[in-house]
Amino acid sequence: MNCWPQKVRLLKKSTKKGALDIMFADWLFFTFAVIAVLGATGLVLFRHPLNGAMSFIVTLIALAGLYALLSAKLIFALQLIVYAGAIMSLIIIIIMFLNIQPEDLPHEETKWMYLIGGAIIVMPIGLFMVKMVRTLPNISTEIVGNNFGGVKEVGIQLYQNWLIPFEFIAILLLVPLVGAVVLAGKRGKNK
Amino acid sequence: MTNDIMLLMPLIIVGLGGIIVMIASAYEKFTIEVAAQSTAAILAIAFLTQLSNSISGNVAVFSETFNSILVVSTFSKAAGLIILASGIFTVLSSVAYFKENRFCTSEYYCLVLFAVTGMLMLTMSHELITAFIALEIMSLAVYVLVGYNRDNVISTEAVLKYLVLGAFAGAFLVMGVAFIFGATTSTNFAVIGQYIAANGFMQTPLLIGGSFFVLVALLFKAAAFPFHAWVTDVYDGAPIPVTGFMATALKTAIFAVFANFLVVDDGMHAGWITYLFYISIFTMFVGNLIAIGQQSLKRMLAASGIVHTGYLLIALVAISSQDFSGSVIAFYLAAYAAATLGIFAALSYLSGADEKRKTFDDFKGLAKVRPYSAAAISIFLLSMAGIPPTAGFMGKFYIITSAISAGHVALAVLGIVSSIISMWYYLRLIISMYFHEAEESFSDILPSRLAPTCTFVLVFCVFAISLYPLIV
Repeated sequence: MNCWPQKVRLLKKSTKKGALDIMFADWLFFTFAVIAVLGATGLVLFRHPLNGAMSFIVTLIALAGLYALLSAKLIFALQLIVYAGAIMSLIIIIIMFLNIQPEDLPHEETKWMYLIGGAIIVMPIGLFMVKMVRTLPNISTEIVGNNFGGVKEVGIQLYQNWLIPFEFIAILLLVPLVGAVVLAGKRGKNK
Repeated sequence: MTNDIMLLMPLIIVGLGGIIVMIASAYEKFTIEVAAQSTAAILAIAFLTQLSNSISGNVAVFSETFNSILVVSTFSKAAGLIILASGIFTVLSSVAYFKENRFCTSEYYCLVLFAVTGMLMLTMSHELITAFIALEIMSLAVYVLVGYNRDNVISTEAVLKYLVLGAFAGAFLVMGVAFIFGATTSTNFAVIGQYIAANGFMQTPLLIGGSFFVLVALLFKAAAFPFHAWVTDVYDGAPIPVTGFMATALKTAIFAVFANFLVVDDGMHAGWITYLFYISIFTMFVGNLIAIGQQSLKRMLAASGIVHTGYLLIALVAISSQDFSGSVIAFYLAAYAAATLGIFAALSYLSGADEKRKTFDDFKGLAKVRPYSAAAISIFLLSMAGIPPTAGFMGKFYIITSAISAGHVALAVLGIVSSIISMWYYLRLIISMYFHEAEESFSDILPSRLAPTCTFVLVFCVFAISLYPLIV
């Protein structure tokens, strides 16, 4: 059951495009990757939640760029519209509603100590991940044909190969909905 | 084809039942008692349907339409039965619990049903993305159940801890899935198994890393060393029936998917066996150390849950991916579930308003006032400690013999040592119930029928499960 033929297609060496284009795509990849990581670092390190949220938007947009490099058209658009657009504006509105003042924020004097300690602890895993990534085959980033990543193609994948997980997402979304009503809703009486 | 529908029926019944209970909760007439009864009925119907299914070998349900994502076997059937039974007993003991602790709304029961849906799916899914979705359905429902009492600070702390750490574990799982997909170009267990058989496990670093992250997530959810620190706080903060539900149903679902994932191929199991060996030893002894130090009964049971995870890990070390049936794991889970649910059902009606009886000392002299309840609790504790003729003894017996026959004698011996150490904290409660004078009359306990009935049914189960292998 190989549901994702693009992997095979991506593995093919680029023959049509010139070396310059490939260089350019590589540069784009590294730029987006670095921006994504910087945004995520900012999310963790910024003191004020609003700065953190803005920094997170940077990450989401950079990820959209990475999806575009993989010819995933639909996911690219959804990432920009739904995640970087709709969801992040909701989060920012909520943070603004909370009206957080600098004095409301906790004092984190030991923050750097925890960060450095944590970094040392996860270092072996990080080194192992570098080793893993280096075993990956060379992949050229070129536009995959056959309207790959379009609405129709993604829809066919979802309904032909991924029916069960796709349908069960419905319950996955329902549970937090009920949970949010229960935990944050008005404190009702017992019936 | 019709058989496929029947195999899926328990999942469909519980899922639909959850949605119906959720919609019905909006109506005034749908009181919490009605909600509890209908939830128990839904779970009971699903249980009977699951029981009536006869399965031989691995059956991919609707393999054309669902792309072999859901696979049913006798192991998933047994795990499903344990989960559904845990759900029924949790719901019934909740009724008594919520008479004393009045923070229930009818949504509580629909969340239990959704959690069971996720767990049932987890036992069947032979595909990593589906497993992740099922795991999240289960976890999200359980997060809310843990924090259901919003007026309790400990409960709020518990839900926050569990939510943050659980999300962390979920992120690890997704990362692992991505790496495994990168290595094998599939997330289906069967295809991963074929890939390992063809290319070897140790030759693919991407696969090692991927399965490492998946194991981290599963070990976290199963509360194994070194990811056990959250357990005592979360179990302590959750309402008593929810604690029982987490300790039994959640653990069953996790171990079902854990075993299914490990046996995709010999290479996978062999690659992790050494690490699982040490993790199981540390889990047992660290759990014992934590349990010995506890004064609170709920925290002691949480820590003893860590120890039982250790025993189950022994069983995972000992399985072989050829003709895997999972019977040892399923049997131990059933035995452990019966005893744990029993003790939590008893605590649901004995702990009183706002769970005021918490520590060992609060139950002093219970045997004089409520001899039957004390006897039932003693039987559950003896079963957890592994004294014959209870189910716990048979469960441990099977695990230890399977470890010996797989050539892990050291592990078997350490399992027995850990079991002897665990007597210390199990017997402590029995001593405080039987050999101390009553300091209070336990007269504030509201009369209820359901929870005591549950308790005594479970006493019967403890003996029935232990006799089951002798009869069949």
